[in-house]
Amino acid sequence: MAIINQATKELQVKIVYYGPAMGGKTTNLVQVHDHVQTAAGNKGKLVSLATSSDRTLFFDFLPIEAMTIKGFKTKFQLYTVPGQVIYNTTRQLVLRGVDGLVFVADSQYEKMPENVESFQNLVDNLNSLKLNLAEVPYVLQYNKRDLPNAAPVEYMDFLLNNRDVQVPAFGGTAHKCEGVFESLNMITRMLLQKFINQSVPQYA
Amino acid sequence: MGTLPQLIEEDIHKLDETLREFLAQTDATLALLLDKGGFLITHQGHAGELDVTTLGALASGAFLASQTIAGLVLETNFNHTVLQGEHVSLCTMNVDEHCLLLVVFPSPAGVGVMKYYAVGAVSRLARQLVVARERDPAGGLDLSAMDLANPEEFFRKREV
Repeated sequence: MAIINQATKELQVKIVYYGPAMGGKTTNLVQVHDHVQTAAGNKGKLVSLATSSDRTLFFDFLPIEAMTIKGFKTKFQLYTVPGQVIYNTTRQLVLRGVDGLVFVADSQYEKMPENVESFQNLVDNLNSLKLNLAEVPYVLQYNKRDLPNAAPVEYMDFLLNNRDVQVPAFGGTAHKCEGVFESLNMITRMLLQKFINQSVPQYA
Repeated sequence: MGTLPQLIEEDIHKLDETLREFLAQTDATLALLLDKGGFLITHQGHAGELDVTTLGALASGAFLASQTIAGLVLETNFNHTVLQGEHVSLCTMNVDEHCLLLVVFPSPAGVGVMKYYAVGAVSRLARQLVVARERDPAGGLDLSAMDLANPEEFFRKREV
């Protein structure tokens, strides 16, 4: 979970991009890295632990310093998990300490079973860490909207966003940076909102 | 904000003091206290051009991966990993359920020295972290001054 360092005036937050293999999680981080507006030195290097064919092996990692809140520097650590089914243990490791999630779904019709399986895998892995999806802020990103075989958003909502409380969902074409910042800004808003709601004003 | 650990100046001061003492005893170059989620809590020593944020994230991930491997071979007493290099080596040690100590040291110094002096340092670090967690577990940071109505303000896209 996030760390508040009163001595250095820092708030550290971890956001994990989750979803099926080849869905666009790494592309999201690459686009954030390439396009985010930051002061000099506020954006770290994008680290990718990938196979020779550019498939994520362990995780991608991008540290970014965003805004200052009441004198606190807010440092975001963005991670992706490997989407391939065989790397489930790795996904569990990366989820440790997560504050917020972006679930990147693949909009292609034939990928729907993988989307649903990956989402269920997320729920299971959170449970294994004694976390409940209902308590972790998350948003959905329906990626690859530019492909001709993209399923309607309503159908994807039915499959992935059909819970008691619907979460924000964004259409995306990550390789064109569409939907990328919308998703990131919304999850940031949601998790900071969660901190506010949980906050007891003892430090006000 | 019950789940968020609050580290006040007193905590960081004591943690840093322990790390400095450890560095003096061992001649290690750098000592980092990490959260197992990948956060860097504090560090002491000579970081130079090193990216300590990324170093911390990768080291905690590597440690957790090794711990999982140890579990697969039914080893329950797993508490450190060593990366032995020709010039520089790294040792990552378990502090408590949530934290790790990462030490960067010249290889000739030997990992034995690090492990010997780490026993005391790790126990002092763990004690201080318990104090921090128990001080005010319900206390949080008041973020209510933020303009959450406008999410565009968080991350802005650079126009190309």
